[in-house]
Amino acid sequence: MKALRRAAKTATTAVALTATLALISTACGTDPNRASNGGGDGKGVTLKIWDFSAEQVDFHKLVAAEYHKQHPDVTIEWRSITQSEYTKTLPLAFQSNQAPDIFYWSDSGTNNMNQLLEQQWIKPLTPSGTVPENFLKRWPAGSFVDGINQSGGKTYGFPFSENLYWGPGYMFVNKKVFGDAGLDVNNPPKTWTDLKNACAAVKEKTKAQCIASPSKGKELQRIWGGLAPGLRNEQFFDLKTGKFSIDDPAAVKTFEFIQDLNKSGYLAPGTNDKDFSRQQFAANQAAIYFDGTWMPSVWKSQGFADDQYVVAPHPNPDSGATGALSRQPDGNKYWISSKSAQQEKAWDFLNWMTEPDGYFVKEYYKAGFGTLAFADNKKLVTDPALLNIMKIAETPGYRVNLPVPVLKCPDLAKSKAYLDATAKRPSGEYEVMVEALVGNKPLQPLAAQLVKERQDIFEKTLKEEAAKGLKVSKDCYTFPDWNYTSDYSLDKYKK
Amino acid sequence: MTATLETPAPPDAGATPPARRRTRRRTPDPNRDQVRGFDKLWVFVFLLPFLLLYLGFTLWPLVATVYYSFFDWDGIGPIDNFVGVGNYGSILNDKLFWLAVVNTLIFAVLNTAIKLPLSLLMAIVLTRKWLKGTKVFRTVFFAPLIIPVAMAGLVFTYLLNPSNGALNALLLDLHIVDQPVDVFANRWSALLVLVLVSIWQIFGQYMIYWMAALQNVPEEVYEAADIDGASEWQKATLITLPMIKPVAVVILLLALVNAMHVFGLVVTLTGGGPGTSTYVVSYFIYQEAFGSVPFSYGYASAAALLFSVIAFVLVTSQGVFVRRAQQLRKEYGV
Repeated sequence: MKALRRAAKTATTAVALTATLALISTACGTDPNRASNGGGDGKGVTLKIWDFSAEQVDFHKLVAAEYHKQHPDVTIEWRSITQSEYTKTLPLAFQSNQAPDIFYWSDSGTNNMNQLLEQQWIKPLTPSGTVPENFLKRWPAGSFVDGINQSGGKTYGFPFSENLYWGPGYMFVNKKVFGDAGLDVNNPPKTWTDLKNACAAVKEKTKAQCIASPSKGKELQRIWGGLAPGLRNEQFFDLKTGKFSIDDPAAVKTFEFIQDLNKSGYLAPGTNDKDFSRQQFAANQAAIYFDGTWMPSVWKSQGFADDQYVVAPHPNPDSGATGALSRQPDGNKYWISSKSAQQEKAWDFLNWMTEPDGYFVKEYYKAGFGTLAFADNKKLVTDPALLNIMKIAETPGYRVNLPVPVLKCPDLAKSKAYLDATAKRPSGEYEVMVEALVGNKPLQPLAAQLVKERQDIFEKTLKEEAAKGLKVSKDCYTFPDWNYTSDYSLDKYKK
Repeated sequence: MTATLETPAPPDAGATPPARRRTRRRTPDPNRDQVRGFDKLWVFVFLLPFLLLYLGFTLWPLVATVYYSFFDWDGIGPIDNFVGVGNYGSILNDKLFWLAVVNTLIFAVLNTAIKLPLSLLMAIVLTRKWLKGTKVFRTVFFAPLIIPVAMAGLVFTYLLNPSNGALNALLLDLHIVDQPVDVFANRWSALLVLVLVSIWQIFGQYMIYWMAALQNVPEEVYEAADIDGASEWQKATLITLPMIKPVAVVILLLALVNAMHVFGLVVTLTGGGPGTSTYVVSYFIYQEAFGSVPFSYGYASAAALLFSVIAFVLVTSQGVFVRRAQQLRKEYGV
């Protein structure tokens, strides 16, 4: 009897231990690649794509359905994550081996590919690294550049958005509020004084705000992109001198104008995010909103039609523009993840997606999402607001090609100097501007401190890298023969 | 009848000599002796899940944080760039970190200094026998606690928005102000709003703590005081407060430690702004760890540890009071 009881006790203990261990192993043993593999069960392959284009969710569903119809063995799972969360979620996905097969990344501009290679996040578009000639021909000459989207003879990316029309720097004017203020919507402000006068009229004659300008986090970039190009450009690095530049006279003067608008009560009060400001404009609570090429599709998704607003060029200082919006080969945005087990299928999809007369392109333009680098924009764009944006951007000198340091010094592809300098407080420029704006303080001292911190790290790292044998220096970032209002053409690198 | 009241002395308060305490410690625990043989295995089996969770979610992250803090690591690649105490050196010179530390301490002290007396007062009122509808009040005060922090932050963001927020609309309609007030435009007003919203949300929890403490004060003591003709004020100051003092120290400690963890409200209400002026340590760590790519896990780990040390020093400085309080708590039986 005693032995029986002991045996029962032992069995119970064994069951309890087994259950505990099973629970633990279940919790710890998920297969991170399960979703993207999916091919082992004979039902085909699932390709996971991530981006942050919330307004394109329905479009992506259409694309996924069409692709599955044409390629029954492939299912597309296209996920859009809020932009502010995306930059945190994607790295964590890589860290936990749950990265998608294809992902969108545009944070580092022309340095995108180098950064992603450094982080080991990407692999070439095809297993061999080379792409067919008919693929390359979809883009204008000069679109594939070593150090930008090619490296070591392999192609890693492709320009998605073209860079003449696409970008910040447009002024959206609300027809109703302008009308209520007795202003002519067809004659929007052209100079900074015009802008102030229009705001005075809006303030006096309507209950609406004049400019819906978000300022939470780095959202001050919306109005900055609309005013800074009047004097220099919207960048915080001066490629003429090779220095960080939020403290230079042009930047400070632009900021002082924004501060003046704020003091006069022409900026909608509050530290608002972009969605709040966009809604404010679309709800006829603000007369003006500065932003980029993507806005017509954003407002269309919110039910604010293009006949309720007009798009205008950004206003310039009264003495005329001494700068321009920047144009860079930074449209390389979709990448194949290094973690993807479906490189060939991912390539097939991207190849299909970029067919100039394909389903993706047609539907993209039908929805008015913007302008693509691999399609005939003149032929395909039908959205009136987008057409107007194109007309504005085609004005000579509205957007100019910036010099590209990596084309001057190819070793910059391996340099971390610029990344390190901006990694600390990546939104620092906007933080100091917001602090000065709401605190009604001068920008210069705050800006000078930030510039010093950035420049010190930048130059120190360049020197350390040069000492290790890289052919890099501050000179790589310095283009004294360039002026801010004209293109820096490719042939200048050959000198 | 004189109204002189004396705080009832605990049975052996202050009378336990050190030698006696030592003797008591040496007394074998009869329960411990009962756990023998096969039962020991059962004890282990039942403890195992907790031990594993503790190991995985407390001890391991702590050890890992210490380890990471000595590396320049982005959280993704191999951990091979050993920088020694370099991260600590950088943090000590990082003005933003110290601003975050100061803001965190201001928040914690102000938050605690307001919420504890308020919640105690409310708890005293709600434990009065003459008050009707105490359950309703308790529910009302406790309700904000069940609202997620993110939701509370968003609600107040819209309530306080100077463009079309309800508060500003009211102030303007009543002609109290001529221009909308942007409470988030200034460091001090933004911090104050953070404190007040946090108190609004957590108030009920501390009220419940106080109520639990108050309900442990023996009823007979109040009855004796009534016989002696004590007023409500005398009962509160001469009976209630001394009797709940041991628990109060623990509540104070909890309140301070909890307040130092403020994060969600900062994310939703101010985003650390204007500029960086309402950064708190948790938000600083979060921004360092995830704010830019590549991540700075090593730096963030060092910042977390450094602040933990600061918090530890502050908390352990209260340790003397807590130990004394715990002893009193046992002696008072509360």
